[in-house]
Amino acid sequence: MTPTESATYAELLALAERRAGELAPTRGKAVAFRAKPDVDTIATYFALHMAGAAAVPLDKALPDALMDEYRRKLQSESPADGTADILFTTGTTGRQKGVMISADTILANAENLVEAQGFTKDVEFIINGPLNHIGSLSKIYPMIYVGGTIRVIDGMRDLNAFFRAIEAVEGRHAATFLVPANIRMLLTFGRAKLASLSGKIEFIETGAAPMAQSDMEALCAALPKTRLYNTYASTETGIISTFDYNAGECIAGCLGKPMRHSRMEISADGFVTCSGRTLMLGYYADPELTARTLSGGSIKTSDMGCFDAQGRLRLSGRSDDVINIGGFKVSPSEVEDAAMRTEWVRDCICVECEHKILGKTLKLIVVTDGRDIDVRALAAAMGERLEAHKVPTTFERAESIKRTFNGKLDRKAYKA
Amino acid sequence: MEEEIKKMIEDGLPLVDAESEFLFGELDSLGIAEIMMMLGDKYGVQLDYSDVTPKNFKSVKTLATMVRAKLS
Repeated sequence: MTPTESATYAELLALAERRAGELAPTRGKAVAFRAKPDVDTIATYFALHMAGAAAVPLDKALPDALMDEYRRKLQSESPADGTADILFTTGTTGRQKGVMISADTILANAENLVEAQGFTKDVEFIINGPLNHIGSLSKIYPMIYVGGTIRVIDGMRDLNAFFRAIEAVEGRHAATFLVPANIRMLLTFGRAKLASLSGKIEFIETGAAPMAQSDMEALCAALPKTRLYNTYASTETGIISTFDYNAGECIAGCLGKPMRHSRMEISADGFVTCSGRTLMLGYYADPELTARTLSGGSIKTSDMGCFDAQGRLRLSGRSDDVINIGGFKVSPSEVEDAAMRTEWVRDCICVECEHKILGKTLKLIVVTDGRDIDVRALAAAMGERLEAHKVPTTFERAESIKRTFNGKLDRKAYKA
Repeated sequence: MEEEIKKMIEDGLPLVDAESEFLFGELDSLGIAEIMMMLGDKYGVQLDYSDVTPKNFKSVKTLATMVRAKLS
């Protein structure tokens, strides 16, 4: 269901089968499409799988030029055998990486969630995030697996629509995934309303970014009977572990024990290392990066952590330069590269700054050719090359950018 | 007040066209949150989720109308 349309399982199947017939020539190829919050997008996603193609969902508002770029890139070679999805995610080097995921991995992720979080056919899952992002996309198959109801809304900008979607759910079976920034937004502008719906909400999962202890406690207080999960997952590793922080112990950074199809270890130097059926097949058209990342059937992440006495994962931080903006990973070098391609910027560095709702936001410190920065023109020019969440909201002019002795950007010098 | 709000949006959300007559359509959830925070801080009004309607966020003018209604 969306706010304006609905489809039964039979109708969705009929639509997907018809579309799969049209898409038959794409078998073995990667097919990009804009992931919009509608029935047609979900039918297209299934149709591509039925046709034996790899589904490549992209940002619903992706500029045409970038869409063409993705399509050209995806024609360069066939995806690995058995690829069902390719999800593009941000790498530490600033390049977008296409993560190839098999049908078996999608099933393993679905079974992990169904078992660990208690998905049932009575659950009505409200998808409010982008369907090209694992947080939202990964809920489609578990819901189909149990025969539940999926409600899709167009983001979280209209909080009234989110609350209406919860109110429309029968009984106490509403469930959703919210990034920490959206939880803070709900707590800031709608805490009483959220609490009034406590009897409707069965569970809420969060993930994709660290959540503040104070927000976790506030959510527990507002929804005392709701299961509240903090999940450890990434596009590359799949969905690994989850922890209900409303079941007696509310602990920030605790991500629970591995789910049924997943395994976790901590490497000798302190990094979370994952293995099991939920891992990616590799990166599209990048065997070298695949070999570096996926070795011996496991992935060593950039997350640092340890296990507590109960065997639960406790995360302590990341070791790379990636900045997390409202649950989306942003590589500062990708932002800097886009800025350097504009006419105004001679040198720059992208840094994070604190934000009341988002937690973090991006600032670009810029050296110009002497002119003042036309912030709106610069942001617009960068927006032609970047998704909107990667365009900084704050710009600051500087005489020079600090560099290390070997000429690299001195990121540490700009950290708070 | 309209000019002040327009300037705030231009400074805080550089990708958004503050002169748009369909402002709500240009904003994502974080843009909405940013405007709610800016208006709350600047004018001392208490805004909540029920104020986030396409009608209130249609343009700078309708945002100013909403703030004036709260102030009175």
